[in-house]
Parts: sequence; C-alpha cells; structure tokens
Amino acid sequence: MKTLIGLTVANLKGLTRDRAALFWTFFFPIMFVLLFGLLFSGSGDSKVSVGWVDQDKSNASQGLRAAFASVSLLSLHDGTLEDEKTAMQHGDISAIIVVPSGLEATIGQGQAGKYSSSVALQLYTDPAQSQTSQVVQGAVSQVANGFNLALANGTAVLTVAPLTLTSTNVSTVTYLVPSILAMALMQLGVFAAVPLVQQREKGILKRIGATPLPRWELVASNILLRLIVAVVDTVLIIGVGMAVFNVQVVGNVLLAVGFVLLGAGAFLSIGFMLASFLKTEEQATGVVQVVQMPLMFLSGIFFPFTFMPDFLQKVARLLPLTYLGDGLRQSMVNAPQVAPLGLDALVLAAWTIVCLAIAARSFRWE
Amino acid sequence: MTQSGEHVIRVSDLKKHYGDVKAVDGVSFEVARGEVFGMLGPNGAGKTTTIEVLEGLRDPDSGIVEVLGLDVCKHPESIKQRIGVQLQSVALYPRLTVTELLDLFGSFFKHSLPTKQLIEAVDLGERADARSMNLSGGQQQRLSIALALVNDPDLVFLDEPTTGLDPQARRSLWDLVKGLQEKGKSVLLTTHYMEEAAELCDRVAIMDHGHILEMGTVQELIGRRFKERAVFFDTSPKLPQDRLAKLGGVTRASQEDGQTVLYSMDVPSTVGALLAMADELSLEPRNLGIRQATLEDVFLDLTGRALRD
Repeated sequence: MKTLIGLTVANLKGLTRDRAALFWTFFFPIMFVLLFGLLFSGSGDSKVSVGWVDQDKSNASQGLRAAFASVSLLSLHDGTLEDEKTAMQHGDISAIIVVPSGLEATIGQGQAGKYSSSVALQLYTDPAQSQTSQVVQGAVSQVANGFNLALANGTAVLTVAPLTLTSTNVSTVTYLVPSILAMALMQLGVFAAVPLVQQREKGILKRIGATPLPRWELVASNILLRLIVAVVDTVLIIGVGMAVFNVQVVGNVLLAVGFVLLGAGAFLSIGFMLASFLKTEEQATGVVQVVQMPLMFLSGIFFPFTFMPDFLQKVARLLPLTYLGDGLRQSMVNAPQVAPLGLDALVLAAWTIVCLAIAARSFRWE
Repeated sequence: MTQSGEHVIRVSDLKKHYGDVKAVDGVSFEVARGEVFGMLGPNGAGKTTTIEVLEGLRDPDSGIVEVLGLDVCKHPESIKQRIGVQLQSVALYPRLTVTELLDLFGSFFKHSLPTKQLIEAVDLGERADARSMNLSGGQQQRLSIALALVNDPDLVFLDEPTTGLDPQARRSLWDLVKGLQEKGKSVLLTTHYMEEAAELCDRVAIMDHGHILEMGTVQELIGRRFKERAVFFDTSPKLPQDRLAKLGGVTRASQEDGQTVLYSMDVPSTVGALLAMADELSLEPRNLGIRQATLEDVFLDLTGRALRD
C-alpha cells in the first residue's frame, strides 16, 4: 500500500509538472465548456415562453392575460392544456399557466361581497430548470398580487397553485456539460496509453520490473492516478458549467458519480488495450487521436443522438462513449434517454472487461 | 547455500533464442563473491540478454542460472530484493528529482539505504533537487547507479555503464565501481570498451554471437594468445607484407585500422631491421610505436574483426 501511494504520488508529480499534460488533462475540457457555453448560450431567446391555458374564457380572464402579457420577460403562447403540456415536454415552452373556469364568477361574488372564495392559478414549471422556473414563479405571483390589490376589497381572489411538469428537453449548455464530461473521461482514459507506451519505450517499466515491486501495483497506481484525474476533471467541468452558465445538476448525484467511475474505467481499459499493441510514443499519439475522433463525433455527445442518419445511429450504438454520455446526461440532467440506464452501465462494464482481458493477455513490459 | 559463499553467480549452458536468433547459445560462467566480472563483446553478442536473464527480467530457454545461490526461475522476488540493477540507457521519470526518485525506488524494497547517503556516494549532492531530465549524461548515469544501490545489494549489475560518456565522466564512474568492490560487493558489468574492462575487471569473458569465446584475467587472455609485442607504424605506400613478415623477431605482420602491425618476439631487432628496410626503400615510417598486445588484439584475433564494428 505504501508503495502504491508512493508510485501514484510520483506519477501525479510527473503529471502536474508537465505543462502540456496539464493543459490537455485539465484546461482543454474547461475550454470546451466555455466555448460551447458561449456558442449556445447566446442563441436563446431572452424571453421565457409560457403556455397560456384559458379555461374560463371570460372578460376577467382576458384582463388577466393582458396583465401577464405586459410582463416583458414573458411571451405567452395560447392553447389547450394538452397541447401546452406536450409543448413543454418538448421544451418549446418553459412553463404553463392555467386559468381555471370560475374566475369571473368568483370575482363577481367577491365584488358583491356575498361570498368570498379564491381561484387558484395553476402554474406548471420544471424543477430541472430552476432559474427559469423562479423567474416565472416570481412574475406570476407579482401579477396575481397586483390583480388582488386591484380588486381592492382585501380578499385574495387569486392564489397560485404550483405544479411541476418535467420537461424532457434541457437547455443546450446543460445538455452539453455531461457530454463534455463524457468526452473528458474518454480522453483521459484513451490517452493513458501514451504515458504507458512512453514509459515502456524509455525502459522505465523494465527498470521497475527489475525491482521486487509487483506488477499489479504498477498497473493499480496508473489506474488510481487516472481516477484522481477523472474526479478533478468532473469537479472542474461541472463547476465551470455551474459558475459560468448556470448549469443545473438536478439528477441523482450518486448515480452520476457511478457513471463517472464506470466511464473512466471503461476508457482506461481501452487505453491499456491500445498500449498493449503500440510500440512507440509517436504511434501511440497518432492512434489515440484516430480512436478518439470518431468516438467524439459519432457518439451523440455534442448533438442529440436522433440528429444522426439511421446507419450512423447503428454505428453509434456500438460505441462506449454513446452510453457514457447517455448515462451521464440521464443521471445529471434528466435528459431523454438513448438507452435505459441499466443498459448504459452494462455496456460500459462489458467494454471494461473485454478490453482489460485483452490488455492482460497481450501487454508487454518492454 | 554453501556454494554461494564462493559464487554469487553460476550459469551453466544458458540458452535463450528469439525465433531463429540464438541470442545466447550455451553460455557457462561463474562469478566469485567480491569479484568484478566483465562481459565484453560487440552489440548483439548476447551480453545484455545474459545479464537480463540473471536479473530476472527474462526467462531462460534452458540451462541452470543461479544468483546468490537461488534459482532465478524459482525465486525471482528474493533475488530482486538483493541485487542492484542498472540497465542500458534508461531514461527515468524525467520530472522527478534525484531525491524523489531515490525515495521512490527505496520504497520498492524491504530494506533501503538513506537517500542522503546514496546521493553522497555518487557525488550528486548539489543536484539532489534537480529533476532527472535536467541532469547531464554523466550525472544521469551516476543517478542510475545510485538507484542500483538503493537496497544495499550484494551483487550489482551494470550494463554498459559508461557508454556515451566523456572521458572524465567515465573515469569518475570507474572510481565508483572500484569503490563498490572495496565495500565487498560483487559486480557484473558489460562493456565494449577494452580499456574499461582492463581497468576494472578481475576477470573478463569475451562474447560473440551468443557464445563465450574466452574467459580469464586480462593478462591471461593476452598472454594466452600474444607472447609478442606489437610494433606499429604508417608508411605510404605500404611496405611489402612478405618482406615484413621475414624481419628479425617478427612472427606475423598485418594491417589493422590502416596501420601496419608487426607482432615481434624481439622488438629491438625488429625495429632495427624495419628502419633498415625503410631506408633502403627511401620510405619513412611515421607514427612508429610499440605496445603490448591489448584486449582489443585478443578480440580481433578471436573474431577476425574489431570490437567497435
């Protein structure tokens, strides 16, 4: 254990003292988050689209609509509750306000002073988009208060009943952050082939082989190092996404951590397998690029999977990055699934086992 | 273990083939405790393969290989605890410092020497906090010897420890190796520098094509083949070989590295006759010199080619 930690610390020092490695390991993924964030965050409408469902169809409800329409942040979108729910689930609108029938009647009763009851506006928001939801909730309660005051007899006719509806569409940046994390994990795993090949080429592996250090400790320290890097990368990427682009992580944190580790494991195994077959550092650098490029572009991590033509989707369904990206998106931001979470985990585990087995059989120490 | 009191290495009929290439083809030798044993030979002679089998880095195809009284195939871990290894041209973790590397390697062994003591032993005190990538060639080589000594080994393997070093760095490394012997350690080194072998080794084995051609002390090897001394010179044009061979005391005349070399049992009469003959032909022998036969000559005589080829 002492030697395992010592060796891992040695490897970590080697990494942190190598500026190029530092850049590719830590700053490159952050740059990705910043770049994509800037690219996609500007394109959104600054207004929040809200579905308007009028079930009262009265003068009073018309007046209420005018009050909401005057809120500059909101743009209203009329329709039936069914239509609006569908639109919200597709991400076309961010919230729904439902005016129930009986509004005008209640107001009339209130004004006559006969009977006081209240009408509850139903407000559907998506907890996954808490920022937008807060904006809408704030606007709705403000309008409702104003409406109540305007009636001026002290009875609160309008109340707001908050409801939730999970939208399956998330903002582009939010969608991208788990994807960029998946990309970073893929890269740190696959790129692990390069230092391994380098250490073998330079004879470091052989030199250590001439000491009593068991070989499994050498491998274990490499895995430990990469897992540490994976955790640091995860924190950095999510941190930058949250700090700069208000990305909301709403999913199951434990599940997400599980996928981070599973993904790092799968791609490390691929890295080890590549290192088994590559002889020189130059070869390794080239092959690693050749491997990661199609993974990046065919795995639906930068655009929804369904944008791809059918035959490419079939290819993508074979690639491990597809499943890591899907697992992370589902567990972090409740994104729509490409495959069930269990299948995601299973595919990643299968890649890990197969590649590790191949690496164990064919890895050469010199 | 009774045998190991005398011998730290026993190799009997060691064979190691790679496909059709017989890298080591039936090598036998022993190294006594406290001895510095040299393996000489050109690249590809099988020195490195032999040493790597002894270090437990490669399995032999056949033969008996014992290190410190233990079979290398059966007890590689116990052997590795007690030997020191310096491999041919190894770059170490480039971004770790001398101190960090010694600490790290020390942690691989059950017993290790204090890092400070090792740094002093190889005279790297001023570079203790330098990253290994920033060391000079000689300093890197001294570091790799310090790493080989980290577990205070009984037996040290040095594979071409001075290749690529300038003469001064080579001398300082020789002093280090002599120091090891004074501390009672046994050393097996490979080299293709004859003078290095002559300077350091109690006994040498000359290897070529996977075989040991000859083995013994340097004086034995020279004496076994060369009773004569060599008289060497340049002339332009060359003097006729057949006449040279008949000069007084000459047993053999040859051309080596562009020089004419006469092997003579009687140097004064050879030189006298040579000068007379040159005078008669109006030629002046240049760079005339006399030397004892060297390991180089032995090697040339054994293999028909110079060692550096």
